[in-house]
Amino acid sequence: MKAWLFLLPLGLASALAAPVELKINLRVGDQPLQFAQTYQTPQGQPYQIELLKFYISEVALVRPDGREVRAEGLVLAEFKREAPTQGVSVMKMDVPAGQYRGIRFNVGVPRELNHLDAGTQQMPLGVNSGMYWAWNPGYIFYRLEGVALLPEGKQKWVIHMGTDAFRIPVRLQDLQTRRVQINIPPTGGSITLNLDVAKAFQPGPGGAFVDWRKQSLRQLHGLSPETSLLMSVVYFNMQTAFSLAN
Amino acid sequence: MQGWRVGWMGLLLLGVGLLAVYLWPRPKPLTTQPSPPTVVHPASPLAPFAQRAVPVPEDNPQTPAKVELGRRLFFDPRLSKDGKVACASCHKPEFAFSDGGKPVSTGIFGRQGSRNAPSLTNVAFRRHLFWEGRSPRLELQAVGPLTAHDEMGMEPEELAQRLGAIPEYAKAFQEVFGEPPTLKTTTYAIAAFERTLLSYNSPFDRYQAGDDKAMSEAALRGMELFFSEKGDCFHCHVGPEFTDDEPRNTALYTVYKDIGLARATGRDEDVGKFKTPTLRNVALTAPYMHDGSIQTLREAVQHYNQGGQPNLNADALIRPLGLTEAEVDDLVAFLRSLTDESFGTNPAFLPP
Repeated sequence: MKAWLFLLPLGLASALAAPVELKINLRVGDQPLQFAQTYQTPQGQPYQIELLKFYISEVALVRPDGREVRAEGLVLAEFKREAPTQGVSVMKMDVPAGQYRGIRFNVGVPRELNHLDAGTQQMPLGVNSGMYWAWNPGYIFYRLEGVALLPEGKQKWVIHMGTDAFRIPVRLQDLQTRRVQINIPPTGGSITLNLDVAKAFQPGPGGAFVDWRKQSLRQLHGLSPETSLLMSVVYFNMQTAFSLAN
Repeated sequence: MQGWRVGWMGLLLLGVGLLAVYLWPRPKPLTTQPSPPTVVHPASPLAPFAQRAVPVPEDNPQTPAKVELGRRLFFDPRLSKDGKVACASCHKPEFAFSDGGKPVSTGIFGRQGSRNAPSLTNVAFRRHLFWEGRSPRLELQAVGPLTAHDEMGMEPEELAQRLGAIPEYAKAFQEVFGEPPTLKTTTYAIAAFERTLLSYNSPFDRYQAGDDKAMSEAALRGMELFFSEKGDCFHCHVGPEFTDDEPRNTALYTVYKDIGLARATGRDEDVGKFKTPTLRNVALTAPYMHDGSIQTLREAVQHYNQGGQPNLNADALIRPLGLTEAEVDDLVAFLRSLTDESFGTNPAFLPP
């Protein structure tokens, strides 16, 4: 009897903590992304994607009663040519088994980590991450790069989104309806997200879009008058670029 | 009533004096180390400013081997994507480590930058780096040019791989850092080399050290103007390094094509703000301003003499100064007396 009582907490703990893997499918619209393939923006600009890296932090699963189960940790998701784009595992966490009504997280580095001395930070932070922003200390949160196929030839473009104002909140929970159901059995499971990379190119107010014919817009990374509106457009689009895959 | 006013003025002056004494830069014992061994050119006299200890961050102590590795890296174009651009391509020793007359520099694949490469004279003492002044130290600053698409354009993995494949570097990094090359250790070694780029052998320094004949009459008159309210240069170009390291709008334009600090902050009041540059070796670092738009020292002085263009963000000190042509010449003579001719020929600062 006593031995049974002694083992109870251990048994409960193992039942509570189920391993969950967060996976990502990269999409262009509803199709799987392929790196060397040429796509078109809604404005008819042909392009290819070459690199995507972004931070995921402040992850939490949302219970049916609205309470959140937080998963510690910060990860750097990385996608590049000759590497898989579908079902890529980006994070592992332990959560209590049970029913959830969604997941929420931020694309970015939490404010309290974003401005520490990058020389002393370890991966996935620090300068070796390739995400440190030297002229504007802090990290690039979302780094998308590719080429535009312009009449004059291939031109490289980048979208580097960062600074505390552009930490992207992703909220994939629904407590009102039963539309979102995530069941985590005691043995664990995975949550797969679709990320529509092309969402960044949707036009904003007044039809504003990232026009790669203009050289100044091929480097979207600061807050100059010319680029700040477009940064906001991309930021707004990115909030709805993630969806639950299953 | 008059005496009362004089009394208050006296108190005010005393206050300003005390504040100046309090704010004057002095060595910080906690963050400094004894000066590295190869820092002063043998020809340099013991100028008063040269005796200040170089601030060295705790996580990157200076060692001769690290400085030597940093020097090799600084002059090595293999650190760039196309193998043609080294740090020294745009920071040339003979121009006090600026880009020798070019308004903006050329990076990999002939890509043009948008800003004037600053001098590295006594860069160890800069508290803020880049034209916005947003980078806190040399180690982190170096990440910028190494990775920027229009400068050296390297990814961390690519740099680590390329340097790791060069046996001399693989060995040197192992000896200095106890690990293979990475972007981080590359920037740490380069920063250690940059901290040795000290220059205190100008006529002005020799004059400070007691040589009455070191500066010309014109330069001495210029010095008086420089440090007077009339010339009013010294409020921003302050201290032994002739800079306050703060971003300011100098009314160069009414509408700035490059918005400066606002590019990072997004704030209207930061449009057109760029960091005050040092004036040491300024005669070697033409052209001037963040965009290299002013060709000569005389034109730069005339810009301030005329008070610049109308701009809402202009620094409060920017105004027409009313200097005569002769006074402008004297100021230019003083600025030329800040040139250390031995800086660019010091073998410790040249390619290994």
